[in-house]
Amino acid sequence: MAHRQREPSAGEASDDEDDYMAMSFAEPDSPAHKETSMQRRARRVREGEIKGRVKSKAEREADAAAAQEEALATALDDSNKGFRMMAKLGYKRGAALGKSEGARTEPIKLSRKDDRGGIGLEAERKRKLRDEAGNVPNKAKFDEWDYRDRMAQEAQERRIEGQIFHAQRMAETLDTEEEAGGNTAGQGIDSGTKPLTSCNVLWRGLVLQRQADEEEQQMRRERDRNLSRFKDCVYSADDGDSSDDDEHRNVLEAKLNDRTLFDEQDDEPEADPELEEFNSLPPAERLTRLLVYLRDKHHYCFWCKCKYPDFALDGCPGVDEEDHD
Amino acid sequence: MADRRPELEESGRAKRQRTDDRDPRNNPYLAHHYDDAAASAAGPQFNSRKGKSNGAASGRSLDAFKRHETIAADARKAEDGPNNPFTAAPLSQQYFRILKTRRDLPVHAQRDEFLEMYHKTQILVFVGETGSGKTTQIPQFVLFDDLPHYYGKMVACTQPRRVAAMSVAQRVAAEMDVELGEEVGYSIRFEDKTSPRTMLKYMTDGMLLREAMHDWDMTRYSTIILDEAHERTLATDILMALLKDLSTRRPDLKVIIMSATLDAQKFQRYFHDAPLLAVPGRTHPVEIFYTPEPERDYVEAALRTVLQIHATEREGDILLFLTGEEEIEDACRKIRLEADELVREAGAGPLKVYPLYGTLPPQQQQKIFEPAPPPDVPDGPPGRKCVVSTNIAETSLTIDGIVYVVDPGFSKQKVYNPRVRVESLLVSPISKASAQQRAGRAGRTRPGKCFRLYTEDAFKKELIEQTYPEILRSNLSATVLELKKLGVDDLVHFDLMDPPAPETLMRALEELNYLACLDDEGELTPLGRLASEFPLDPALAVMLISSPEFYCSNEILSITALLSVPQIFVRPAAQRKRADEMKDLFAHSDGDHLTMLNVYHAFKGAEAQANPKQWCHDHFLSFRALQQADNVRTQLRRIMERSEIDLVSTDFNDKKYYENIRRALVAGFFMQVAKKDASGKLYTTVKENQSVLLHPSTVLATEAEWVVYNEYVLTSKNYIRTVTAVKPEWLLDIAETYYNLDEFKKGEIKTALLRTQDKMRRKAAQKASYK
Repeated sequence: MAHRQREPSAGEASDDEDDYMAMSFAEPDSPAHKETSMQRRARRVREGEIKGRVKSKAEREADAAAAQEEALATALDDSNKGFRMMAKLGYKRGAALGKSEGARTEPIKLSRKDDRGGIGLEAERKRKLRDEAGNVPNKAKFDEWDYRDRMAQEAQERRIEGQIFHAQRMAETLDTEEEAGGNTAGQGIDSGTKPLTSCNVLWRGLVLQRQADEEEQQMRRERDRNLSRFKDCVYSADDGDSSDDDEHRNVLEAKLNDRTLFDEQDDEPEADPELEEFNSLPPAERLTRLLVYLRDKHHYCFWCKCKYPDFALDGCPGVDEEDHD
Repeated sequence: MADRRPELEESGRAKRQRTDDRDPRNNPYLAHHYDDAAASAAGPQFNSRKGKSNGAASGRSLDAFKRHETIAADARKAEDGPNNPFTAAPLSQQYFRILKTRRDLPVHAQRDEFLEMYHKTQILVFVGETGSGKTTQIPQFVLFDDLPHYYGKMVACTQPRRVAAMSVAQRVAAEMDVELGEEVGYSIRFEDKTSPRTMLKYMTDGMLLREAMHDWDMTRYSTIILDEAHERTLATDILMALLKDLSTRRPDLKVIIMSATLDAQKFQRYFHDAPLLAVPGRTHPVEIFYTPEPERDYVEAALRTVLQIHATEREGDILLFLTGEEEIEDACRKIRLEADELVREAGAGPLKVYPLYGTLPPQQQQKIFEPAPPPDVPDGPPGRKCVVSTNIAETSLTIDGIVYVVDPGFSKQKVYNPRVRVESLLVSPISKASAQQRAGRAGRTRPGKCFRLYTEDAFKKELIEQTYPEILRSNLSATVLELKKLGVDDLVHFDLMDPPAPETLMRALEELNYLACLDDEGELTPLGRLASEFPLDPALAVMLISSPEFYCSNEILSITALLSVPQIFVRPAAQRKRADEMKDLFAHSDGDHLTMLNVYHAFKGAEAQANPKQWCHDHFLSFRALQQADNVRTQLRRIMERSEIDLVSTDFNDKKYYENIRRALVAGFFMQVAKKDASGKLYTTVKENQSVLLHPSTVLATEAEWVVYNEYVLTSKNYIRTVTAVKPEWLLDIAETYYNLDEFKKGEIKTALLRTQDKMRRKAAQKASYK
């Protein structure tokens, strides 16, 4: 990133070939004259390969999307001729046009719809993801971040969540095996046979999620069966024209409350402060706790992917992923 | 009828004598000069007639009326005949039949209230729900009181859509028992159906704006009614700002803003707290249903819902809102298939399915008004019709008999972003106001039901309150040019109801500057003045104006006309292959513009003209679109002739024939150019550096390194549509300012252009050394 900013802004275009290379290989810190002919040849071959390689469709699409995203996020600058004309009329950057108050200063955002998902589906998905992740991202902080950093951060978090999931599965399997006397290699426990709170808090969330998924599937199946009588099942009615008054709104609210009650009974049977507390930890911390638990209890290293004979974990380079590089 | 004409024509001539001398029809933009003259001439005449004060004797019951002092009873008497109060001709039977139904309309009950307010105030906000009769009745109420014909003035009533302007004018002409185009006329882009006798003119809001460019004070009107203002079209918004300003300069001008219930206070506030008159619509309660959870596939959910309604609900027709032609046709097919199965297996009643969208031919649009089919067996399950429509059925078209509305919550909306300079139609969530409007459609005949395919929570949280007005979603370069011509100099402080984002104005000014329509100070140039004469996008206008320099103005005129009408190629889903083969007959390997030109030339050929309808059908071309293009071409040619722009062609056998046309395209569209990437699959737009694909419909082979495009379409992919190959030398040559390479960002495009520049310099040097 850094060298890009230091690039000269003009006059570099006189030599086409250099310019060409600069796009992917500007390395001002390694002066070219130290290069031997062999090295140069090797470099050229390498560069040719990179340049000649046809980018995959996904890569190209990602590039295009990123370019569009960037262009959409970049306001027109003061070198714009239109801006200069407007400035002559007394326009100041950041101000709105016209005489009315509260006029917009930014263009309306472009939002593209690539699928046939109904209204609210996207929000619902995001909400579910958030619930699964179990933590509320710090919004204010996010806004200040540069887009790329944020994407990187999100990717990293997703990666850690994935690792947590696998570590939880491992912990669950090992715990269950141990409980059963180590003679079955069963995949997890039957969620129906044991109260949830008796599960280890480290992987309780996993069991909970599995139950929720099963329930949702069940509900979907039921709903599909009931479609022929959709009036009673698919839609919840509110009476009258909704462009109206309070009386009607009260009815709506009552119905809404009914539904909320119903939802609560169904989906969130009881509060679980222990699990909530665990889920509110940052992902990295949750992962560490799981890793340490696996090591201490089962002498298992998540990164080595194997069980060691004793507590010393002799041969394992350490707790963290970096130790295993 | 026949014996009425002579008298009519005579009276017309007597009143506006100057008409015939000047023949304003040949020059509609000069007509207002004539109107001024007529106004002063008519004044005294009117006075003298008033002096006689014997209206009844002459058969003109309006002679005794005192302007802006009449009451409903006066008008009622005049309306009752026996002679037409405006033409003095005897009134027909049909007139009286219609009059009876007119008097049942909700607005009629408040005629006196309306007149009282109209007398007292200059600007009035009138709110009436669809079905109140405001569009047809209010202008007539005004005629009886404003008496514009005695003063050589007219009443204008604007409509956002061409079709509405035409059909409403026709209806009102019938209501007033006059011939369309005489006392009541309409004026839309490329079509003017008015006469010197016209006193009530329905017109698109865009037309009134164009007229105002030549008549800043809109002197030919005594009252201007802006109808459907809640739709907030670009032109209506601009007109509101102009009229707000004009009202201080012209205290005699009356303005009525008509809107459906939504957001009326906003209009009042904007017009210095103008008084409001509201007329209730005739609507029944509508029960609203939401889904308990979001839908995974709104189209599938919509089809399911329609079929369930058909299988389980009482009789009553269904209206389903979808987003576009393809989606609608597809949905219609599927509903028909499934409904047939329902009839066979579950014994449901017959179901007729009709599509409805803007580009549907009129005779097919008419089908939606056919009554629902009767039950298959007496007392059997009811038959019904189902209309699958875009949002044109939301406000502009009223279909009686609709009891069930299915609303997935989406519509195709125009979006514009000045940063990437893309204007496109995108499927977007509707607003709460739109959702209410849609629901209201179920309550026209009796209490109805509306099924919203989203949760109530999503309705509350995800939908915006009001649809963004068009001015916030449009490229404003054409508008800015018009405003400049309208004498609005301070665009920054122009008092719009919802000013657009500053960057939108910035872009528009910049584009106009590159097109040389505005100078660096932002002043209109002679070219800009000329370009504003054309009812076209500035880029098209500039291309047309500069085409004689490339010896192809005839051809560019044809292309411009073709680009101004709906798609000329027809590609029915069932016969795609055949349609493509036919298109290939006209294909020109250098691009779509040239292909369209080939089509037009063939269409005008003797073989096609022998039976043009059949010929178009055989060649998978839209007869309507080509006919329209022909009409547009004629109109544009008139403007060219008036502006003394030469109509020339290169000899068809000259090898430069097509090259000249391609060069001329560059003169207008140099800001819409893309270059092929090194990868060879994608193109990148010049300056904005956006990756785009050639639209699959193009005839252009992918060898073309550089292309101009007519349209940047956003769908799930970014496409450029209607493209033609050009050469980089032309870009540097024809659009020097825009292609000032110092201003280009580093990258493939700049490198390539620099190389072209070098090549051109070397060539020039060589040439010079030979001499």
